[in-house]
Amino acid sequence: MLIVGSVFVASIGFGVVSAAVLALAAVGFTLQFAVTNVLNLAYGAVMIVSAYAAYELNIHGVNIWIATLGAIAAGALLSVFLNNVVYTPFQRRGSSPIALVIVSLGMTLILEFGTQALAGANNVSYNMSQGATVSAGSIQLTVVQLVIVGLSLVVMVLVHALIRYSKLGKAMRATAANRNLARNCGIRTGRVVMLTWLISGALCGLAGATFAMNSGTFGATSTDVFLVLILAAVFLGGPGQPYGAMLGALIIGVTTEVSASFIVSDYKDVIAFVILLAMLAVRPTGLLGTPMEAGRT
Amino acid sequence: MVYYITNLLVYAGVDAIACLGLSAQFGVGGVTNFGFIIFQAAGAYVAGVLSLPSSSADGGFQHYVLGLNLPFPLPWIGAAIVGGLLAIPFASIVGRRLRGDFAAVGLLVTAVMFNLLVNNYVPLFNGAAGLSLVPSPLQSHFNPQGAEYQWGYAAVAILLTLATYWFVQRITNAPFGRSLRAMRDNDLVADSLGKNVRSLRTSSLIIGGAIAGLSGAVLVGFINLWDPQAWGYAETVVLFAAVIIGGLGNNRGAILGAVLVPVAFEEATRYIPPVNGNPNLVPALQWVVIGLLILLFLWFRPQGILPERRRRLSTRPLPDEATAAAATDGGWSLPGPNGPGPSAGSDHPGLIEPLAPALPSEGAPAGDVILEGRDLVRTFQGVVAVDGVSMAFQRGRLTGIIGPNGAGKSTVLAMLAGTLPATSGQVLLAGEDVTSLPAYRRARKGLVRTFQLASEFKRLTVLENLVVAIPGQRGETFRGAMLGRRYWGTQERELVERAESMLERFGLLALADRYAGDLSGGQRRLVEIMRALMAGPDVLLLDEPMAGVHPRLAHQIGTQLVRLCQEGTTVIMVEHELSIMDEFGDSVFVLADGRVLAEGTMAALRAQEEVVEAYLVG
Amino acid sequence: MWRSRSRSGSRRPLQLAVVAAVLGLVAAGCGSSSSGGSGTGSGSSSKSAMTIADVAPFTGTDGALGPTYLVSCDAATQAINAAGGVEGHNFNCKAVDTRGDPADAVPAVHQMYASGAPSLIIGCTSDEAASVVPLFAANHTVSFCMTGQSEFDHVKFPYFYRLVPPDLSESYAMVAIAQKLGYKRIALAFGNDIGSQTFVGPAIAAVKKAGMKLVANETLDLSANTFRTEADAVVSAKPDVILTEALGPTEASFLSEIKQLNGGKVPPIIGTSATISPAWYKSVAAAVGAGTLASNYSADNLITETSGPAFQAFSTAMDAEKGKVGQTGDFSTYLTAPGAVHLYDGINLAALSMLAAHSTSTSAWMPWILKIGDGVPGATVVHSFAQGAAALKAGKQIRYVGPGGPTNFDAYHDSAGLFQVDKYSTNGAVNVAGNISDSQLRALGL
Repeated sequence: MLIVGSVFVASIGFGVVSAAVLALAAVGFTLQFAVTNVLNLAYGAVMIVSAYAAYELNIHGVNIWIATLGAIAAGALLSVFLNNVVYTPFQRRGSSPIALVIVSLGMTLILEFGTQALAGANNVSYNMSQGATVSAGSIQLTVVQLVIVGLSLVVMVLVHALIRYSKLGKAMRATAANRNLARNCGIRTGRVVMLTWLISGALCGLAGATFAMNSGTFGATSTDVFLVLILAAVFLGGPGQPYGAMLGALIIGVTTEVSASFIVSDYKDVIAFVILLAMLAVRPTGLLGTPMEAGRT
Repeated sequence: MVYYITNLLVYAGVDAIACLGLSAQFGVGGVTNFGFIIFQAAGAYVAGVLSLPSSSADGGFQHYVLGLNLPFPLPWIGAAIVGGLLAIPFASIVGRRLRGDFAAVGLLVTAVMFNLLVNNYVPLFNGAAGLSLVPSPLQSHFNPQGAEYQWGYAAVAILLTLATYWFVQRITNAPFGRSLRAMRDNDLVADSLGKNVRSLRTSSLIIGGAIAGLSGAVLVGFINLWDPQAWGYAETVVLFAAVIIGGLGNNRGAILGAVLVPVAFEEATRYIPPVNGNPNLVPALQWVVIGLLILLFLWFRPQGILPERRRRLSTRPLPDEATAAAATDGGWSLPGPNGPGPSAGSDHPGLIEPLAPALPSEGAPAGDVILEGRDLVRTFQGVVAVDGVSMAFQRGRLTGIIGPNGAGKSTVLAMLAGTLPATSGQVLLAGEDVTSLPAYRRARKGLVRTFQLASEFKRLTVLENLVVAIPGQRGETFRGAMLGRRYWGTQERELVERAESMLERFGLLALADRYAGDLSGGQRRLVEIMRALMAGPDVLLLDEPMAGVHPRLAHQIGTQLVRLCQEGTTVIMVEHELSIMDEFGDSVFVLADGRVLAEGTMAALRAQEEVVEAYLVG
Repeated sequence: MWRSRSRSGSRRPLQLAVVAAVLGLVAAGCGSSSSGGSGTGSGSSSKSAMTIADVAPFTGTDGALGPTYLVSCDAATQAINAAGGVEGHNFNCKAVDTRGDPADAVPAVHQMYASGAPSLIIGCTSDEAASVVPLFAANHTVSFCMTGQSEFDHVKFPYFYRLVPPDLSESYAMVAIAQKLGYKRIALAFGNDIGSQTFVGPAIAAVKKAGMKLVANETLDLSANTFRTEADAVVSAKPDVILTEALGPTEASFLSEIKQLNGGKVPPIIGTSATISPAWYKSVAAAVGAGTLASNYSADNLITETSGPAFQAFSTAMDAEKGKVGQTGDFSTYLTAPGAVHLYDGINLAALSMLAAHSTSTSAWMPWILKIGDGVPGATVVHSFAQGAAALKAGKQIRYVGPGGPTNFDAYHDSAGLFQVDKYSTNGAVNVAGNISDSQLRALGL
């Protein structure tokens, strides 16, 4: 349906919220790819497991914001487990990247349906109030949504500081660029990798909790399509590029919501799909990646 | 009861056919097509809209395109055709030099996206409700619900499975299949040996797509209904699990996987009584188990229950493997029932065939320029790796390209061979400008290269590695494959014998039927060189062939290369070992910082001060 | 790396695998009963219990439906058995999980027949009806189905009976409710699945005919998680009422977002009869608030009794099942849920037909469904199985009118009946707020 100005403007607001959640997820995903060269398709599953972890705390009386810490912890631990126990052994024995993708899909099944087996197939919601709605012109957001946006911004600044200024950040960048060389320069790459997965896992957990808050209700398979949005954001910005992921998240988040306001709304996620496929076809290194020949990574 | 059995048989047939198609794409062609389910879905939809009457029938409660009311078997044929055609745009996604896992993700996303589009766009295939009342084949002549019809349908499904099996076997057993597997194992190398990788990949996708389309038609004819729920992302995962568990690259394995996973496993879980209060527990656990099986199989038995068959091509009894070990030490001169070793070759010219198959020379005398690079430039991520290099190589000579690390030697070689495109400049082969030709075309014109890193086709035997490189095989096209062994069998025998002689010459005949990936480093290096020779090159570009090779073996290789040059082949080597160049090289180019520093014989260069300073130490 | 094996070694996995596969097929094929054959309907008189099969999704997105129907089956059969059963047979209920997918439903139904054909089938929702109804017909099993798909409005399936309204007329009913309440500006918000897509077209046509204005039409993608832009589009169009159906978490998310964007208030909403279900209520009330739902939400529903002898019998039977259902909210919602009421009626109709025909063979009792359902002149009206059994024993002709109201089968065995307007109270109980008359529906083109 053709809608006039106000919905369009409002959708930009919603798009920013989507982008905020997406940014948390995409940055985590891309960091994992940067240091281990693995497309961790189980990322969405880890998100939803973390969301459920927060839910368990929440329904036993813990305030949702405190329970989010539980989600962060769950995401971090599960991600480190995933890398150390599943991906690294396969990589060590020389499995191809595609074999690892299949492994990550297998893990997705185990995690998502394991959660469904334990928690049941019903959809659940957090025990929380969304807060009052705040308006600025046509833009209307609830307090919770504003908090999510703020939280995401703070985390992006922290990530920036980490990558740019900290010792660990420099080690991460070196490991991502050339692991062997980094090791030869004395960097303890094994530890750097583990810490990267810990941090990106924490981001994943936080993304899961905020995703659940933003959606209202969620179930074990809720992140299946969201994973595609994450991939779109990551590939738009360039796989392995954290700033690219942030940019990609902003673009994808806003365009999907905006497209719902002037194209038919049931196709709004298709925009993200098309962007992802276009990037893969034309420029797999992303907007911020260096234009290497495709295939030589 | 009867109906349950026939139902299972039909489903087994459908899944087996689909898995055979997936095995053709994935197991043999190496294309991880996560969008595979789209082909089956397209086949089902096409069979549906071809066999359904116009959409205004039955009160017009459905909306769909076409509705041509065609009789059996036209809808099924149409389904297979469309499945095959659909593969063509897919080939363009996969064919790009895109990382395998990126391409896989792209395909997965494509499948999800198409499902969403078909689900939402109602006028196409009736959206979420899908196509109902799809006619069963020949339903005006028989009662589709009767027992005879059901048995008949099951029989047809099984027959089609067998036919598909026969079809796919024909392909995989032929040289065409071998080329596909070579492409699967290392597409870059296959390309450099003259295989048109893009065309091979497209072929394997089209074959798999057509087969999948057929499986969709068989299924929709049986359940008379097809909607987006039936071909979600979950169904793709199940098919992949089936092929992985059953056995990659093994057609019987594909059938086994189809019977075990989608049929036996999914049906067996129906018998587990639902847990009270949590009816979703068993189906959720079913998915967990499938995920676990995928992981466990990939870890413990990645080749599946029925692994890909090793193809023993050898036509004669093979010697003891101990002789092979001696070969890598350079001691080839073991006399045996198969004739004296190559070191005696010069004394018995009549017994030993020339290393390179005799190619008709164009009548030009040795010494003219056969390969030339003009002003070759290559920039790489903003760095200029090669900065205006011009080199001319004379026919029948052994020329070296030497220089310090990072000088751009391998890059120049790659640009000459075509495996790397030049940013600017020209490459001329026998006077013809081949700059715009891809590597496989240059290989077919006689320009073949080897690679610095191990590049054997791991899951092909040593003999297969050699035979696959030979150009002009009759069974290498799809048509040739379909014509069967009668068509390509005789030539195949000849080629195998040729390869066996080559192996014998290099003392590795004992390893003929071993997987190339199982060999030691030195043995693999020899296999690569032999393989390049089997391609019958006029110009052979070797990228550090002596790297990591025992000095005695290196010496033997060098001797063989010189003989090659005497027989008319041009050899160009990028090399670090200066002693090799001293001994065997007619002349060398010295590269430094992406430019030609000097050119000439080793002796002359050693006298030039700047060259010695820049590089020649010792 | 894969090392070479001797020939005999490589045979072993193949042998094992073949054995496993054969065992699998045999296990799959073996039913518990040896009474095979091509299934010709209900069991012979040597069987003591007759089975009613609930063929519906028990797992997957619509997995809440199967268990709901099972409750009404248990309730009905318990009452029948208590009143002496039929011809000396008792009834029991069986769950057949279609997984919500037609390709899975077909083998499920075949497996069901392999282990003993049921006497009656209930359930068959839009997810699988199109693929399984022909199988029921081939096996001569009577089925009372829940699907509103238009396919069944004009296609003859001999053994198919439907006591719920087709989606077509339901969408007219929703518009009629809006019209009755004096609304002029209509917004539509439906999910993109089978069950919901079929409402949109007829609704648009009806809105036009009723002289109302369609101000928004949003399709909700069930795989998405937020619908704020769609909700905003609806709210900005300033509708008088929103017509909606979307199952799963979508409805909950969507309505709560409407609430947020509309200044904390929810505009009037009219839902379809599928929204009268305990699971739906639980999910949406949690998101939007029970109070909001109570004041702003109405749903159309086929007329169901909420008092009177039929209702009494029904609620007594249902109450006996109270402890056996999972926590899905207020149990009393079941008392007007279409999945409960109409299937209960269908089972009673079938049982009474068997009594009237003095036979449990389908060909004998099936014609009585129409006779007892529509009634013949001079028939005694009965409201429960027990009542009907007694009347039949006394030699009378009967007409069964259950909590679902009087039936009126058309040529396609569809009985549409009249509609009522339901509302939720703050504790989830359903109350009838009004009726829609025949003439109102006809005016809209029904």
